[in-house]
Amino acid sequence: MSALPEVSARRRRTDVLMRGLLAAGTVIALIPLLLVIYTLLKKGLPAFSMNFFTTDPNGNFLGYPGGIRSAIVGTILVVALAALISIPIGIAVALYLTEYGKESRFANLVRYFVDVMTGVPSIVFGLFVYMVLVLGHVGGGFAAWKGSVALSLLMIPIVIRSSEVVLLLVPASLREAALALGAPRWRVVTRVVLPTSLSGLVTGSLLAIARGAGETAPLLFTVFGANVLTANLGQQMNTLPLQIFSDVQQASNALVTRAWGAALTLVLMILVLNVIARLASIRSRAS
Amino acid sequence: MTASGGRSGLERSRLGRLPDRVFEIGLRSLAAAVLLLIAYFFARLIGQSSAAFGHIGVLNFIFRNNWDVAQLQPGGACTTANDLHCTFGAWALVLGTLISSAIALVIGVPVAVATALYLTELCPRRARQPLSILVDLLAAVPSVVYGLVGLLVLIPQLSGFQQSLANTFSFLPFVGGQVAGPSYFIAGLVLAIMILPIVSAISREVISTVPSEHKEAALALGATRWEMIRIAVLPYARPGITGGAMLGLGRAIGETIAVVLVIGASTKLGQSIFQQGYTLAAAPANEFAEAAATPVHRSALFAAGLILFVLTLAVNIVARRFVVRGTRGRFGATVVFTPELEAEGQ
Amino acid sequence: MNLTGVSGAIVAIIASLAIVACGGSGSSSTSSGGTSSTSSGGGGSATINGAGSTLAEPIYQQWGSSLSSQGLTVNYQGTGSGAGIAQLQAGTVDFAASDPPMKPTEVAAGKGPVAQFPIAFGAITVSYNESGVKSGLKLDGKTIADIFLGKVKNWNDPEIAGLNPGVKLPSTAITVIHRSDSSGTTKGFTTFLSDYSPAWTAAAGKPDKIVNWPIGTGAKGNAGVAAAIKQTPGAIGYLDQTFALQGGFTYASVKNSSGHYVLPSLTATAAAAIGIPIPANLAISTINSPNPAAYPIVSQTFLIVYHDMCKEGVTKSAAAGVKKFITYGLGPGQAIEKQLQYAPLPPTILAKDKAQLATLTCNGSPLT
Repeated sequence: MSALPEVSARRRRTDVLMRGLLAAGTVIALIPLLLVIYTLLKKGLPAFSMNFFTTDPNGNFLGYPGGIRSAIVGTILVVALAALISIPIGIAVALYLTEYGKESRFANLVRYFVDVMTGVPSIVFGLFVYMVLVLGHVGGGFAAWKGSVALSLLMIPIVIRSSEVVLLLVPASLREAALALGAPRWRVVTRVVLPTSLSGLVTGSLLAIARGAGETAPLLFTVFGANVLTANLGQQMNTLPLQIFSDVQQASNALVTRAWGAALTLVLMILVLNVIARLASIRSRAS
Repeated sequence: MTASGGRSGLERSRLGRLPDRVFEIGLRSLAAAVLLLIAYFFARLIGQSSAAFGHIGVLNFIFRNNWDVAQLQPGGACTTANDLHCTFGAWALVLGTLISSAIALVIGVPVAVATALYLTELCPRRARQPLSILVDLLAAVPSVVYGLVGLLVLIPQLSGFQQSLANTFSFLPFVGGQVAGPSYFIAGLVLAIMILPIVSAISREVISTVPSEHKEAALALGATRWEMIRIAVLPYARPGITGGAMLGLGRAIGETIAVVLVIGASTKLGQSIFQQGYTLAAAPANEFAEAAATPVHRSALFAAGLILFVLTLAVNIVARRFVVRGTRGRFGATVVFTPELEAEGQ
Repeated sequence: MNLTGVSGAIVAIIASLAIVACGGSGSSSTSSGGTSSTSSGGGGSATINGAGSTLAEPIYQQWGSSLSSQGLTVNYQGTGSGAGIAQLQAGTVDFAASDPPMKPTEVAAGKGPVAQFPIAFGAITVSYNESGVKSGLKLDGKTIADIFLGKVKNWNDPEIAGLNPGVKLPSTAITVIHRSDSSGTTKGFTTFLSDYSPAWTAAAGKPDKIVNWPIGTGAKGNAGVAAAIKQTPGAIGYLDQTFALQGGFTYASVKNSSGHYVLPSLTATAAAAIGIPIPANLAISTINSPNPAAYPIVSQTFLIVYHDMCKEGVTKSAAAGVKKFITYGLGPGQAIEKQLQYAPLPPTILAKDKAQLATLTCNGSPLT
């Protein structure tokens, strides 16, 4: 057998060069993440203190400007309401698509429009809710629940798509077995399909929640912002993204530090949600 | 179960089938409600923009370069819909959107594809999963945090770099001259970082669908690893990677908060890419509060949002011919499965 | 890890935080069925919402902070004077804050007649960030206009040097910073420029909250301008004194109408309010004040509400809350203004404000 032709030095050099470039590209891709993490830790950790998490922004221009307690609570409340709205609706529509609609024209129409909605920039949802609910004076002017509505408009398509994928993974044999035993369709869904896909549905929902928690644009002209801690969803409320957005444009060092601390807090909250979701998905894929 | 008296014990009575029908109708109505909501959303958006379009025409709105907010204030020249002095156009916004997104693609796509190639073809097996997770983690960072880092870290640190780039490449159009801190370039850079995870993830998936026979054939013929990538992987993966890049473009076009913090919100078109600019998404975020009582201004902001939406829609539709996410295939399109990133808005 | 257990834990955490929030909130109240953005509450606790001027933002935030212990929650967003007026016209806030008074066309575009209360005076400094130039650089209206027109490009330009004999000036380029949003501070500053430079009016248009800036970098809000000046060596911008002091900026001595070069200070700011005409609707202006001791670029700032708030959609308790807010502001609030480096109201204007406050109504009857 004749030997393969020798690889010329030029080709070898190109090979080494290009592989080096590809590796360098990967390093470059990792730099932003490291930069963000490093800066968040370096500038955000100094903001952390007991006061930071237990006091609200107090509007003091001179001296200590207060912490972010109202922002943290506000974020949790606004996102929780958005989740309460979007997750049941999203899963229900996904159930319709997989169990009943399947490949019908209507179902495909729904799928197409849901696809379309995932591409809508979040600020457009905010504008829509601003027009319909805020300027339309539905129950007042700016309010936290209107921000939740804007967020849920964003989250519903995400929940529908991820749930549909998960529901399709339920083996047809399981459904057929239950049907063969005489169970009505709805029982099959609630007793067989949902429990089987539960962890996948939870993963998708957690990720949608993480997405909603990080959004700022839909809240700009629906919640508008506040300082004081309140649990009243019918009022303006503080949230972490709005607090960060407001503080970042200030010149005062204390406020800028607070912005970093709030950013670190928000990223940590989202990270926790992501980690839980990924662990759950790994476990469910393994099982 | 034994049948008795002629009727099979498994057959349910009409009444017994009722809960099923109710359940099905309930779910279908919900799906229809979602559809109606989307249609209402479209209708409202178009309705809100019609005042602005009706006043100066859609083409004029898009291509005229005069986003002069002062005219749109109460007491300004645009108070009534048929005021002849009222002319405005969003060209500066449209161009700003396109320029910053183009810069994002130019910077982000090569890095993303390089990362994808490295992680699938060259990376040591054990490092693949952790490195992929790290790159994907970029998608989980909220856009306001990117804005924060862009405004407070990138702009101060890179102003000297921007100036030296402007000086070195000043022979190119729209590059030379004075550098502002916030600029199209910084916005493009931040957007590049934000689209990196999605383009990289899709590229990774697409590259992993390349049949190993192609790769092995190239290697068997004596190709070096890079030559194998160039001959066997890239041509096969090119459509899918293009689709991924287009999805990244769609993301870049629609990004609001990070851009509004680093682009400078200048209503005039910047003289160079290192000057301040504006985008279709940044304008409503910046100006909605001022427009609350001026119908024409508000309508112009909605019109900007509508154009933005149409742009993203067009880009996403074209992207779907190259790559489809989820489980439904399309003729000729590569199918990739990236559920985590979808939820992260990418 | 049991997933249902984890989800249950998350729900439990959210629930307990909500309970903490309810318990910890000093002024949480149930929303009423009104058409306004505010809520009613029992026992004297209320929430009022305002938006507008960034020049006055420190004042309203500080008043709100002091009043929160007395059961009044004040949400104020510094969106700029123009946006504040717009929110009031649209009825989405209870009160607006604007440095310039509302024009008749602006009032007509709103929901009803308004009452404008002068609240304080703030000096608009010409601040700069140039290490070679100390505080107190002498500038006059024409030179400042030429800087903002782009005719004066460097710090050692003859026009600046001519006003400052013996001062060593660096040759660095000047970067102009201006407002990008609809700003009362802009209106005050451009009014001053127009008074001294016809070339300015020709290039940028009439003084207004938004003008066509010939050159320069835009920033949002007084805070944004401060941040931009801080980040840009060689920058110059116009900025309320409170923000300039907070940022440790150097600023110019500006020539006033009597020919004196005056450095912004509390006394010079307060002097601007003495001797100006006071119209019946209290729409005063302190720019380029005739008082020889005055700093020439002093801005007034107004708190603006509808004359009959309840008729225009504000709930009764919120209207009462606004009255409490203004009463506090015209009382102990004046001393707070001094601490924040704003000049408080002279006795004549204060008296007229109090008289106007007494005329506010709620659905026709006097507001309590």
